[in-house]
Amino acid sequence: MAQESHKWGMVIDIDRCTGCNACVIACQSENNIPINLEAHFNQRRAIQWIRIERYWEGEFPNVKARFIPIICQHCGNAPCEPVCPVYATYHNNEGLNVQVYNRCVGTRFCANGCPYHVRFFNFWEPEWPESLKNQLNPDVTVRSRGIMEKCTFCVQRIRRATRLADRDSVELEDGDRALNPACVNSCATNGLIFGDWNDPDSQINQIKNKEMQEGGRAFGLLENLGTSPNVIYLKQVDESAEGHHGH
Amino acid sequence: MLPGDFEFKRLKPSKKQMVLLSIAGFFGLLVFSGIVIVLTFVLTAWMNGQPIIFANEGPEQPIVFPHKKHVEELGMDCTFCHRGVDKEAAAHVPTTGLCMTCHSAVGDGLDGITKMRSLYEDDRSIHWIRVHRVPDHVHFVHEAHIRYFSEKEGVEASAVCSKCHGDVANMEEVHGTEDGRVKQVEPLKMGHCVDCHKQHNAPTDCATCHY
Amino acid sequence: MPLTRRQFLTLMGGSAGAAVLFQACGIPEKELLIDSSVEMPEDLVTGLDNWYATTFQDGLSSQGIVVRIMEGRAKKVEGNTDHPLNRGAHSAQAEAMLQALYHPDRISSPLVRTGTRGSGEFREISWEDAIARLASVFDNLSDTNKAVMLTDIVNGNEKLVLDKFVSSTGIRQVTFEPVEHTNLLKAVDHVFGQKNIPDFDIDNASLILSFGCDFLDTWVSPTRYSRGYGQFRQGHHHRGKLIHIESRFSTTAANADEWVYVNPGTEGMVAMSIMHEMASHGEIDTSHFSQSDLYKFEKYTPEFVSSLSGVSVETIQHIAEEFSHSDHPLAIGGDSASAHTNGLQNLIAIYSLNLAVNNIGKSGGIIFNPEPPIAGLESNQPNSSQELMAIVDEVKSGEIELLLVKDADLYYGLPDSMGFKNNYSNVPMIVSFGNMMDDTTSIADLILPQNSLLEDWGTDVPLAGPGYQTVGFQQPVVRPYFESRGQNLGTKGFSDVLMTTAQVMNVDLELGADTYKDVLQNTARELYELNRGDINGSKYSSFQSFWNALLARGGWWDHNYKSNHSFDFGGLVDIDEPSFHGNGSFHLIPFYSSAFHDGKYAYLPWMQNLPDPLSTAVWETWVEMNYKEAESMDISEGDVIEIRSSNGLMIKALAWPNPATPPGILGVPMGQGHRDGGRYSSGRGSNVLSVLGLNFDSQTGALAWSSTKVNITASGENIRLPKLENSVPDFPRDEHNHVVEITNGKSSKGH
Repeated sequence: MAQESHKWGMVIDIDRCTGCNACVIACQSENNIPINLEAHFNQRRAIQWIRIERYWEGEFPNVKARFIPIICQHCGNAPCEPVCPVYATYHNNEGLNVQVYNRCVGTRFCANGCPYHVRFFNFWEPEWPESLKNQLNPDVTVRSRGIMEKCTFCVQRIRRATRLADRDSVELEDGDRALNPACVNSCATNGLIFGDWNDPDSQINQIKNKEMQEGGRAFGLLENLGTSPNVIYLKQVDESAEGHHGH
Repeated sequence: MLPGDFEFKRLKPSKKQMVLLSIAGFFGLLVFSGIVIVLTFVLTAWMNGQPIIFANEGPEQPIVFPHKKHVEELGMDCTFCHRGVDKEAAAHVPTTGLCMTCHSAVGDGLDGITKMRSLYEDDRSIHWIRVHRVPDHVHFVHEAHIRYFSEKEGVEASAVCSKCHGDVANMEEVHGTEDGRVKQVEPLKMGHCVDCHKQHNAPTDCATCHY
Repeated sequence: MPLTRRQFLTLMGGSAGAAVLFQACGIPEKELLIDSSVEMPEDLVTGLDNWYATTFQDGLSSQGIVVRIMEGRAKKVEGNTDHPLNRGAHSAQAEAMLQALYHPDRISSPLVRTGTRGSGEFREISWEDAIARLASVFDNLSDTNKAVMLTDIVNGNEKLVLDKFVSSTGIRQVTFEPVEHTNLLKAVDHVFGQKNIPDFDIDNASLILSFGCDFLDTWVSPTRYSRGYGQFRQGHHHRGKLIHIESRFSTTAANADEWVYVNPGTEGMVAMSIMHEMASHGEIDTSHFSQSDLYKFEKYTPEFVSSLSGVSVETIQHIAEEFSHSDHPLAIGGDSASAHTNGLQNLIAIYSLNLAVNNIGKSGGIIFNPEPPIAGLESNQPNSSQELMAIVDEVKSGEIELLLVKDADLYYGLPDSMGFKNNYSNVPMIVSFGNMMDDTTSIADLILPQNSLLEDWGTDVPLAGPGYQTVGFQQPVVRPYFESRGQNLGTKGFSDVLMTTAQVMNVDLELGADTYKDVLQNTARELYELNRGDINGSKYSSFQSFWNALLARGGWWDHNYKSNHSFDFGGLVDIDEPSFHGNGSFHLIPFYSSAFHDGKYAYLPWMQNLPDPLSTAVWETWVEMNYKEAESMDISEGDVIEIRSSNGLMIKALAWPNPATPPGILGVPMGQGHRDGGRYSSGRGSNVLSVLGLNFDSQTGALAWSSTKVNITASGENIRLPKLENSVPDFPRDEHNHVVEITNGKSSKGH
């Protein structure tokens, strides 16, 4: 990883994903996401920077459930960015779709624009009992009421790892656990892989090169919308599937 | 006319009323623009981190700590007491245990020393009042700044501090007054940060500090 | 300036500039204090994080974890990359141990009951007083046999101390799990002659036949199995195939290439029938089977089994064919397959499938776990529900004078019809070691709160190990949270409390140590002297440096020390037809909740807000039912369903009709319905375990928890089922616009 500039990205292998939700809690813990109460779910206002969606196919006895983890795709051509009146969301030179909390005024235009539903509005001031506040990650801002938030690819880890590498005059390592987002480290099946698209030797590039070929499994989530995501997905394999598409 | 019907009466102000109305309107506009101008000043000043009404004198600390004595006269380096400053995010105020390495022997009879010693013996901490503070959504790391200036630009570690903190070495509170207290001299607002980052070709991406 | 721009703008809009100025001057005072403490550890630097290794024990298995500590507080859990079971991954439950540490409703000191039982009125007492009280209870027992210690499954040094305590005081000890694994362990013992659960080499298997066990989400060691599953799917040139046979559509069924519905309790017959098919094609490995074994599956022809199990003849035949022709076949089973009156027989048949392809000790097969390096550290075996029922009977007749409870929530986990809830008042003294007011702790007379996982010492020799000798080490990664309450209040380690109690009672535990940490160090010293293992004692100049390395690494393991895989097969057995409790029209299948497991994690808010993989439901108890069946009964999502078993007991759950649940089956997650247990779980949802009928395995006495038949009625009430998934009908959509894309893999070069 000798690049001057990085372009962070992720590969999500749906064929490995079991839907176990370990990533969801790892993310909630790392990023100070408030406890989603029953009412928050009922009002569709629960915040999950990463979530597992489940899709049904068929019915008993020939029924399938497909799981797909969905995070911010850090789109190269993000629909959320141009609509922000205060430039609180923009694409930075590391390929991240950044949400600047202190700029955000909460118009929620970006959430309307996002086809992946990965942007969340803080309808409430986040609350924790006093003792649980001990767990909060000091590297991540606690978002107050009235602003948007979303997956950051754990930018705080990228910052720390980059700074420490700089301090010790070493190069960032591909797949370094200190650099990986929390969800990637928690995944038991290795279904999530994080890396730098600008590094030709990175694991994600190797997978991309292999799976982008004819007959490969790579696809972009809702890629026909032209968002050019920085996350690529690998198709689930189902030998009994008739076509190449599920639902 | 049916009961309940309402007849509009055309308002015809007299000349006298017209004059009064225009005078009132003029003063009303004057007051309004006055408020706008004052607020504009207040807002700009606040954005630039300048004190608005009250002079920035620095808070009263529980112990009158003479920085001048330690730095100027005894020649101690900032990093001797603020030990975290070149290691991680925060600079750290020294533990009283560290104070006691010298002050178990020196400084008898001084008010501050007596107070510090008694706190040390009671196993109680000193509650200093914070002088420099950035908001929660700013992730400032001392270590990176010290490292940059000392390694890349060859500035001595302790000289780096004064870039943001001013000449703390010569801040010495005069007893009984507010003069000379340790105070914030730079605005420490985003403009201040960004100016310096631009000067030194440091990243100005929002996600450098805000995440 | 403490005023945020946001506040500023709000105020600008709302009021005059003067208000802004005043606001600007008011800074919350505590935000401005910097604490200059008296002493601080050298490594405590604000912003600097340290990761400390420890071990998270979860039922039959464990995970090595590292915990991020900043300024003395635990911030984040991640998997320990060195630990042989999880290799860096970790489960949601492991993460939530942070909330177990900082839970707002933790008990912060020993308590003694002041009100009536269950009233929740307690008074704080000192540890000295509490232990003196406990010791005096022991002294006043009319017979030490009348005291019973109930624990979860324990292993390592904790078990060592507990064993010594139990044997030197003469009390009895019984293990309790709400959903027991007795049948699994008995079956493994019968088939493989092993006292612990072998490692299943899912990583290298090419065909997995799993019966009833949701091994990707909850069964035994899901993190370890999921690690294997990733490899199994995409780690090799050939993608492995998973065939899952279960009466309910579980997370594992959802991930399977083929899910086969089987009538509850007939899983073993299907396994026998598969062997029958293999044998009739001459494709069975007979090296482990005696002549009489080969006759055993004679009668289980696919036609006969098909009529009982509902699995078609063709399905049995093709499974048999694929299984016998696969390079690395593997068969596993448990959970609902074992929770029947013929549960043990089912599992014996299922695990014998591995003998039929002889995959023992082979890549992609069954890898036995060797004995632990130090005798006495092995896990204790679970007691069956019938043994527990005998204890409850003693409780009823007032023969039990003292009940000690550690991590065993009897009040919650026992079916109501066993009668513990109505008769616990016959026990004059209940002592709980719980640090949360769980259902049993709240009826206790004396509470000696133990440390939480991240505050305590321990060792871990998992019942389901990685296939070689492993001793995980658990160390306190933070100071006890209630340390500030002083030595005489706060929480203490369970083993330490036992050791102190023994001292007060003048009982010598012959541990050769004063504190639990010393006990651990004695064990570590033995490991040091073994001079082998991945942390090899011979490479360290002193014990101290070995000890430090051990704690830094999170444990000791020797990947070269494996079992020799010699064993005696106990023989195939006939499989009885399952018998069910009650005659309701629905078959009730309770299942391990993805978040709460058997209920022990329900008090953690992160677990409450964790969506179930299939229903995506949170914070509630729901009942899975077939959507067509629901429609015909005029039941829609959120309808409150009353589920009645024939013993007259009833629970309520919210209907969740879905396309995957087989008709006639009701799936209800365990875990909710706690009467107590802190603000996040008390009074929430309902407890499916409470309505189960008392139906036991005919041989082992294990509770047949999946054999209850129930009737349902809609109460007429409808409550919105809280879930992540939206229930708004689909908008017309572009049919080429797929979210999940699927390939049949045929044209792919990748596999």
